[in-house]
Amino acid sequence: MKIVVTGANGYVGTRLITIGDKHGHVIVVASRQPPIIQENLWIPFDIYKANLIELPSGTDAIVHLAANTLLANNTDKKSEINAAVNLIKAAKEVGAKFIFVSSQTARSDAPTAYGRTKWRIEQEVLSAGGWVVRPGQVYGGELRGLFGTLVSTVRRLPLLPAFIPAPKVQPIHVDDLAEGLLRIAERGDVPPDVYCLAAVAPVSFSILLDTIAKSRLRCWRGFLPVPVLVINALTFILGEKFRTRLGLERLQSLFNLPVMETRPDLNQLGLELRPLRSGMHPSGNDRRRRLLREGQAMLGYILKERPGSAVLRRYIRVIEQLRGGQALDLPKLFLGYPIFLSLLDESSWTNKITSAEYLWRLDAATVLAEATPVGAYRFLGRGHGVLYSLFSMTHAVLCEVCWRISRMLFSPLVRLTLSQEKGIL
Amino acid sequence: MIPDFDVIIVGSGPAGVSAAFPLVEAGLKVLMVDGGKRPDIQPPEMDFLSARINDAEQWKWMVGKDFHALKMRDAVSPKLRVPSHAFAFDGFERSNKIEGKDFISVGSLATGGLSNSWGCGVARFSATEIAKFPFSASELELSYRRVSQRMGISGRANDDLSDYFGLDEDAQPAIPMDMLHTHLSQHYLNHRKKLNSQGFRLGRSRVAVLSEDMSGRQACNLSGNCLWGCQRHSLYSAVDDLPELYKYENFTKISGFVVDDLTRCDRYWSVSGQNTLSNERKTITANKVVLAAGTLATTRIVLKALDYRDTVPVLSCPTAAFLLWLPRLLGAPRLPGFGLGQLSFALALYDNITAFGSTFATTGIPLSEFARHVPLRRRYSIDLLRGLLSSCVVGNIFLPGHLTVAGAKLGRDESLVISGKYDDKVMPLMNEAAKKVRKAYWRLGGMLLPGSFTVGRPGGDIHYAGTLPMRESSVVGETSPLGEVKGMDGVYVVDGACLPVLPEKSHTLTIMANADRIGRQLVVLKI
Repeated sequence: MKIVVTGANGYVGTRLITIGDKHGHVIVVASRQPPIIQENLWIPFDIYKANLIELPSGTDAIVHLAANTLLANNTDKKSEINAAVNLIKAAKEVGAKFIFVSSQTARSDAPTAYGRTKWRIEQEVLSAGGWVVRPGQVYGGELRGLFGTLVSTVRRLPLLPAFIPAPKVQPIHVDDLAEGLLRIAERGDVPPDVYCLAAVAPVSFSILLDTIAKSRLRCWRGFLPVPVLVINALTFILGEKFRTRLGLERLQSLFNLPVMETRPDLNQLGLELRPLRSGMHPSGNDRRRRLLREGQAMLGYILKERPGSAVLRRYIRVIEQLRGGQALDLPKLFLGYPIFLSLLDESSWTNKITSAEYLWRLDAATVLAEATPVGAYRFLGRGHGVLYSLFSMTHAVLCEVCWRISRMLFSPLVRLTLSQEKGIL
Repeated sequence: MIPDFDVIIVGSGPAGVSAAFPLVEAGLKVLMVDGGKRPDIQPPEMDFLSARINDAEQWKWMVGKDFHALKMRDAVSPKLRVPSHAFAFDGFERSNKIEGKDFISVGSLATGGLSNSWGCGVARFSATEIAKFPFSASELELSYRRVSQRMGISGRANDDLSDYFGLDEDAQPAIPMDMLHTHLSQHYLNHRKKLNSQGFRLGRSRVAVLSEDMSGRQACNLSGNCLWGCQRHSLYSAVDDLPELYKYENFTKISGFVVDDLTRCDRYWSVSGQNTLSNERKTITANKVVLAAGTLATTRIVLKALDYRDTVPVLSCPTAAFLLWLPRLLGAPRLPGFGLGQLSFALALYDNITAFGSTFATTGIPLSEFARHVPLRRRYSIDLLRGLLSSCVVGNIFLPGHLTVAGAKLGRDESLVISGKYDDKVMPLMNEAAKKVRKAYWRLGGMLLPGSFTVGRPGGDIHYAGTLPMRESSVVGETSPLGEVKGMDGVYVVDGACLPVLPEKSHTLTIMANADRIGRQLVVLKI
C-alpha cells in the first residue's frame, strides 16, 4: 500500500515509518523537513502554510500525525484545523482513507486548547467518513514527545510527586500504536469511527513514573504526596497567563483524563498490547531481561553463588539459539531465592512439555556452570580428605530429605503458583 | 582403456590405512578417498585439571562455541557430546543415507574415521574366535604383529589377561595407574584364586596409547585430556599413519569425496561420488576397489551396487555401564591421570559367554554426565558427587556381538535402514554380569553403586560388524575369504563388515590386521 504520513519526523511518525516499511508498504513522508530515513519519498507539508496539498496518485491512506502540542494563540488553532480540512479534501480527491491521530483529551469542553482543537478536527474527519484514533499515554522507544519529557523529569528529580487522588493513565507502547494505525489503514473490515487505543486497565500516574524509573532508567525514586486540591487551588488563584506558563493546564488535563473503554476497539483491530513493564524496557520488551533473571536463578542454584556475567550471557545465548529465546517466567520466589528451585521437579508442572523444558534448562545450566573456573571448584572439589567428603555427602543427603518433605507439604502451593504464571509455562 | 588407479581405497580409517600400506609398499598406484572432515577445535593446552581451574575459555572445548554438548544432550555417549569430537561424527548419517530405527547408527566422514574418537581398546581374537574365519589363524598372525607395531600399543604386563589380549610381545609397558586402580589391582592379587574360580579375571588394559615416544608421537604424560583431545598424539588415530603413506609417490588421497556408487565398466570399476564441499560429482576408475568406509557405509555401497534388497545381519555388542565406589579412598585428591581404560576384566557368564569390560578414572569426565542420573535434586547431586566421585571409577561391559539381533536393509529410496534389538538372553546375562561384577569388585574393595548399572541401547557400542561376512564359499550378500564381494569381482571389503564374528572384546585391531592381510594377498595375486 502507499501510505502518506504527516508529522513523519515526530515521535510516533518515525516508528510508523519503520514498522510500515517492515509491513512492505510504500511510505510517503509529508513533513516540513526532509525525512530522517532517506529512502522514503518526501513531499513538503506544513500545517501553518495551509495551501492545498496534492497527494501522490495511488495513495491508499493518509495518517495525519502532524500537530502543534503548544497552540499559543487562536491563529495556531485555526491553521491547524484548516490544514486538516485541506488534507481531508486532498484525501477525498485521490480516494485515500483518512486516519487522524487525535488525543485522549479531545473533548468539546477540554481544559486545554489542544484538547478542544483535537475535538474540532475529529468532527471534521468523522463527517468526511474518516477514522479517528485516540491513543492513551504513548511511551517507549526514543525519548521524544511527552514520554521523553517524563523520562527526563524522572531522571532529574530525586523525589517525584505522587498526586492524591492519583490520576489514572492508559499507556500504549509507541510500536503498538503504530501497529494499530497500520491495521486501520490495511484492513477493509474496520468501519470509520473513533478508536481508542490504550491499555484496557488504567494505571496510576505514580506507577507510570515508577516504571520509568525502574525499567527504563534502572534507578529508584522516592515519591512525595501532593494533594490535587493544592494544584487546583493554585490554578484558581494564578491567572490564565501563569497557568499556561507553569504547565498547570496540562496537569489539569491529566487530572481530568476520561477513562477510555478500549477493549472493543483493541478487539476490533486484533491488537494485543505489550505489558507496561516489558514495553518500558529500552529494547521495547524485557525478554532478555527475563532470560537474564532466569539464568541468574538457574546458574545460582547450581553454583551456590551469583554466576559471573560471561556464563550468564552464555545461558541467554543457549536459550536464544536452541530453545526459542523465551524465558520460562518462573515465579518471583524462585527468581529471588534460587534455593527454592529444589521444590520443583517433573511432577510440579501440569504439562509434560514445560516440565521437559525446565529439565532441559536445568541440564544446560549444569553443563554451562561446570565449564567455568568457578564451576571447576564447585564440581570437582579437590579432595578435602575423608571427613570433609563424608560430611558434605551426609549434608547433601540430609538436605535432599528436607526438601523432599517440604516438597510434599508445599506441593499444592507450588503447583498453584506455577499454573498462575503466564509466559511459556 | 587404462584405469586411473590400480586400487581405490574408500575410507581412511584404521581399515583403510591398514590395507593401504602393503599395496603402496608393493608399488601399486593407490588412491584413497574419504569424507575429509577435520577437527576444528583445539584441544586444551594444559593438563585437564589445570585447564579446568585456569582456563576461562574452557567452555569452548567443554561445551563448544555452537553449544554442541547441549545440542547432543540425548546422545548415548559422553564422547558424542565432546565438541572436539564433533567433526568425527558430523553429517555421517545424512551424507551416507543411513538411518537407525530403534538402533543407534554412528559412523564417520572424518579423515581417520572413527579412530579419531575411539577408546583405544585393542585385543587379538582367540584361536576359537578365529576358527570361525574361513582361513587359518596363522594367516592373521603376521598381520596382527605388523599393525600392532605400527600403531603402538601399551599395557604389557604379565597378568591374568595376557592370554586374553595376546599382545604382550609387541606392547610397550603399561601407562601408570591412578591410586584407585592401583588399589583394585593390589586387592586382586590377594583374592586372585577365588575370583578366578568365579570366572573373573583382571589385568591391565591393552590400549593403542603410547607409553614411550614413537615415530613422531609422544608418550602419554597423564594430562587427563583423553576425552577432550590429546595434543601429544599419544592415542592412536589412523590420521597418524597418513604422513607415512604420503611419502610414497604412488599414493594419492582425495578428501571430501563421499562414494555413493560403484559400477562395473568394461574390466574396471568406476567409483562415483559427491564432493562434500563443491557438490560436484566425480567418477574415478580402478582395477580393484577396497571398501573401508566403516561397516554401515560399506554395507550400503555394496548392497546398492548389487541391488540387494534382502536384510543382512548386523553384529553389535550389547553394552552396560556402571559406577564403582572405593570407600577406602573416600576424599582422595583429584590428580591428573590417564583417562582411558586402566584395568580390564573378562567375566565368564552362563552358556559359555564371556563379558569384557574396563574401568576408567572419573576425573576427565564432566560431573554433569553423572549428575543427570543421580536421583537427587540437582544442587545436592552435585554436592554428593563432588565428595564421592574422586573415589569412584566408571566401568563398561560388552557382550558378544551375536547377542544383538539386528539387520540392515536397503530401502526404496536407497537409504540403509538399520533396526534391531537385543536378544532375549541379553537381560538375564546382564543381570548375571551385574551380580558377578558386584561380587567380584566387593572383594577388591569396591562397591557397585546401587542403580548405577545401566544397560545401553542397541547399537550404542558403535562396534558394528558382520554385515557381509567372509565365508569359505560365499553366496550373494557375503564375501570370500579375501573379502571379495560375491557378485562383484574386484571389490574387496576390508572393514568390520567382513568379520564373520564379533566377540565381546575390542575388534579394531582385528579389523586392521584383516585389512593388512587382504592388502598383502592382493599384492601376491599381482592385480
